[in-house]
Amino acid sequence: MTPKRIDLPQGTLDLLILRTLSLGPQHGWAISERVQQISDDVLRIQQGSLYPALHRLERQGWIKAKWGASENNRRAKFYELTRTGQKQLETEQDTWEKLTAAVGQVLRAV
Amino acid sequence: MLSDLYIRLRSLFRRSKVELELDDELRFHQEQQADKYMHAGLSRDAALRQVRLDFGGLAQIKEDCRDARGISILESIGRDLRFAARTLAKAPTFTAIIIITLALGIGANTAIFTLVDAVMLRALPVRDPQQLVVLQWSARDWPRDLSTSSFGDCAFNQHNSARVTSCSLPYPLFKEVQNQTKVLAETMAFVGPSPMSLSGNGAATNVQGELVSGSYFETLGVSPALGRTLVPDDERSGAPAVAVLDYAYWQRAFGGSPAVVGQAIRLNDSAFTIVGIAEPEFTRLTPGKSVDLWVSLSQAPSLGKQWAGRSNPDNWGLVVVGRLQPGVSLAQAQTALNLLFMNATAHAPKQHWETYNPRLDLLPAQQGLRGIRNLYDKPLLLLMAAVGLILLLTCANVAGLTLARAAARQREMAVRLAMGAARRRIIRQLLTESLLLSFLGAVLGALLAPAVVSGLATFFSRNAWSPLQLDLHIDARVLLFTLAAALLTGIGFGIAPAFRGSHISLTSNLKGNTTTAAHHMRTQLFSLGSALVVLQVALSMVVLTGAGLLLRTLENLRRIDAGFDTRNLLIFDVNPQLAGYKDEQIPRLYEVLQRQIAALPGVTSVSYASEALMDGGYSSRDMKIEGRSDKSKVEILTLRVGPDYFPTMRIPLLAGRLFNLTDNTNANRALVNRSFVTKYLAGRNPLGMHFGGDDPQDPQWEIVGVVGDTKFGSPRDDDAPTAFMPLTSGGVSFEIRTAPAPAMLMRAVRNIVSSVDTNLPVLRMRTQSDSIDRLLFNERLVARLLGLFAALGLLLACIGLYGLLSYEVSRRTREIGIRAALGAQRGTIWSMVVRQGILLVALGAIAGCGAAFALTRLLTSLLYSMRPTDPFTYALSSGMLLIFGIFACSLPALRATRVDPTTALRCE
Repeated sequence: MTPKRIDLPQGTLDLLILRTLSLGPQHGWAISERVQQISDDVLRIQQGSLYPALHRLERQGWIKAKWGASENNRRAKFYELTRTGQKQLETEQDTWEKLTAAVGQVLRAV
Repeated sequence: MLSDLYIRLRSLFRRSKVELELDDELRFHQEQQADKYMHAGLSRDAALRQVRLDFGGLAQIKEDCRDARGISILESIGRDLRFAARTLAKAPTFTAIIIITLALGIGANTAIFTLVDAVMLRALPVRDPQQLVVLQWSARDWPRDLSTSSFGDCAFNQHNSARVTSCSLPYPLFKEVQNQTKVLAETMAFVGPSPMSLSGNGAATNVQGELVSGSYFETLGVSPALGRTLVPDDERSGAPAVAVLDYAYWQRAFGGSPAVVGQAIRLNDSAFTIVGIAEPEFTRLTPGKSVDLWVSLSQAPSLGKQWAGRSNPDNWGLVVVGRLQPGVSLAQAQTALNLLFMNATAHAPKQHWETYNPRLDLLPAQQGLRGIRNLYDKPLLLLMAAVGLILLLTCANVAGLTLARAAARQREMAVRLAMGAARRRIIRQLLTESLLLSFLGAVLGALLAPAVVSGLATFFSRNAWSPLQLDLHIDARVLLFTLAAALLTGIGFGIAPAFRGSHISLTSNLKGNTTTAAHHMRTQLFSLGSALVVLQVALSMVVLTGAGLLLRTLENLRRIDAGFDTRNLLIFDVNPQLAGYKDEQIPRLYEVLQRQIAALPGVTSVSYASEALMDGGYSSRDMKIEGRSDKSKVEILTLRVGPDYFPTMRIPLLAGRLFNLTDNTNANRALVNRSFVTKYLAGRNPLGMHFGGDDPQDPQWEIVGVVGDTKFGSPRDDDAPTAFMPLTSGGVSFEIRTAPAPAMLMRAVRNIVSSVDTNLPVLRMRTQSDSIDRLLFNERLVARLLGLFAALGLLLACIGLYGLLSYEVSRRTREIGIRAALGAQRGTIWSMVVRQGILLVALGAIAGCGAAFALTRLLTSLLYSMRPTDPFTYALSSGMLLIFGIFACSLPALRATRVDPTTALRCE
């Protein structure tokens, strides 16, 4: 029995990507694997949304891309967080935590 | 921001590299994923299959990535365009038909819009035209004893409007306004143009001369092309007589020779010096008015134009135009100038202005100087509306054709959807195709338009009363209009097929089963395609009905009984005063002319009168009639006539006698027409009765005869009480009754006049039917163009119907084959197809009748003895639609009867 997967709420994909990359440069596949692993397979990123998101973040200047060799020595495109990306991550993380805390509070109180 | 720009530019210029990298990146992901599945124990094939399933449409992801990088817009538009061009080139007939259809629709719109632009929209060709204002006053009624003249610069008075309006102002008031420099930086006045006889440059010619204040050119900001323009000093009494030439006139009459500056000429037999040429950009002030030269107002007496003079304060004839002082609003200027106006009218006791509640308004010059807009703005708007309907019809037509084609392209769309193309991408592709088509159509249309426009210009100027200046060139505004029309059309006809094209069932299409696929689309497509045909028929019904109403009106007007014989009548005007004749010399001149022209072979008889009948103008006077119980004055039209007038015009004598030699100047004898008698002297013997003005010095006319009624001013006029008196002086219209076609005698008549006196210019030689045609210009313009549009609309509707039924027949080939195999007769199959077409035509005609019912009311003012709901016209246009409809249906129907059952059944 696989655990029940949850669809990503709107806007959280960027946050997950930025957070994953804050641990160090990664290629696309590794990002989706990492998120899936850490979330105990609850969160799974669709490739159809991952790559457009990566290209969008790159254009926004929050991450930058570099070609390098993967673990198994294949040519892969690695993404890393830029300085503005780091700042963006902090703001977004902060917002997210406030939001979830607030929502949780309301849910518990009622 | 920098990264954004960098990535966009890189996407644009390093497209292939970026594309390769994207491929690499995604392939790497797929390989990693496949490795993972293989580790988990799947076979390589199963792993790859699973990866593809996970991934979904690869093309779709790539497209999204491109979008995310912001490549797309520019680049994919380019790609769409290239693809669209290839697709269209593959179906050349379809493409050609559509482009030609669109070119006709858009070209017609461009042509009419050029006309609207020239007459109604284009800014005055002077410096900062938005600062110019024109002074216009209004009053409850025309003040008595006010002598005004108008050259049609401003709005005509509507019969139903509560107040009368006029731009004509007296010279002293103009001078006061000119001193109001706090509100108007500069002010000028003009009157005219009116005909002047110019000699000193070859034979005497007739020119249009305008009398203007010395400030005219300064106020407008018009500079000379050569020499100088008029300056304020030229307005001084006793200043040298000088003239400034219009640029186009200078080119036309003087061959653009620079030696003209300083040349001496004679205007109305008075010496003038040409001092300069106005700049070429200054083509007109009032729309449609053509001016050949300008002279100062102070020269009015020497030109014999005392009415335009400055001396008489009761003479209101000047149009006053000012340039607003910067920072002064229209309302502020109006308040200041209205005060002046009220003061001036309060000090003009003769007119009793206070009882007329007068007021002065300032209008922007663009709006206030209407000129030919007075005549043409209504028919032009009407034509614009009609041509808009044609464009709509074109859209419906092309949409129908595109829709049928979209059905034929279902396979292609299905393949592209299956490959992962997004629906919006397909819609965009299809819209690109239709926009490309409409732009090609627009280009062709814009190339066609100048030919149509020059045809229209000829039609206009051939029918103008006085030389008509119509600047019909295609400018940026017109091109913008065409572009907008193309854009709207492209979206208009493309949108339905595009959405339809993107919503198709994948499986049935890919299976290649055309019948089921078509069946799937059938209900929807059929109704949309049919609706488009119904729309086309309805629109062409509206235009057809409009054209029919106008054509029948024209027929009615042409068949009107004018009261005199309008055929074989040649008319020309002369004004001996312009050539320097004294009053007492004139009768002798007319006698000579009459005798010599009558001697020409082909001339039956000759006479002359102060005005030509059915020629647009008339004169009238308020007079009292003896023996009437009602003592007030009544309006009587008056015409001064020469010897033999009534036999020449073939106006019958009803009672009494015609003029004879004893009825000379002092005899005060007159003839009246039948309406005069029935309206004012009913039941009494008119002979011997008197009528005349109420001033003791006014002559009292004795009625010696009664003649038949004639139309005086125009065919639409009612028969009005008219009095005819012997002609003694002034300019006249000669009336020449001819045996052969009157136009053939034009040259001979001209020769006679110049042999009598070379300095006597022949003005406006025309036949009576030319004059009537000119009077009916608006009706003819609208009828002719609507007729053309109606033919175009009918043709388009037929093409639409033909296209739909052809498509239906080819789609139902198999069904028809089965029917034929089962024994259906050819006649049955024929009528099956035709019935469908006729049903659509009938629906369209009914809808069109309803729309026409609502829209033809706009034509009411142009119609004559005919109601906009005239049933005969409606029946006629529905009948025409039906006949042409059957014709358009019968070709596809014929093809249906030729379907060979064996081939049809094998084609699966």
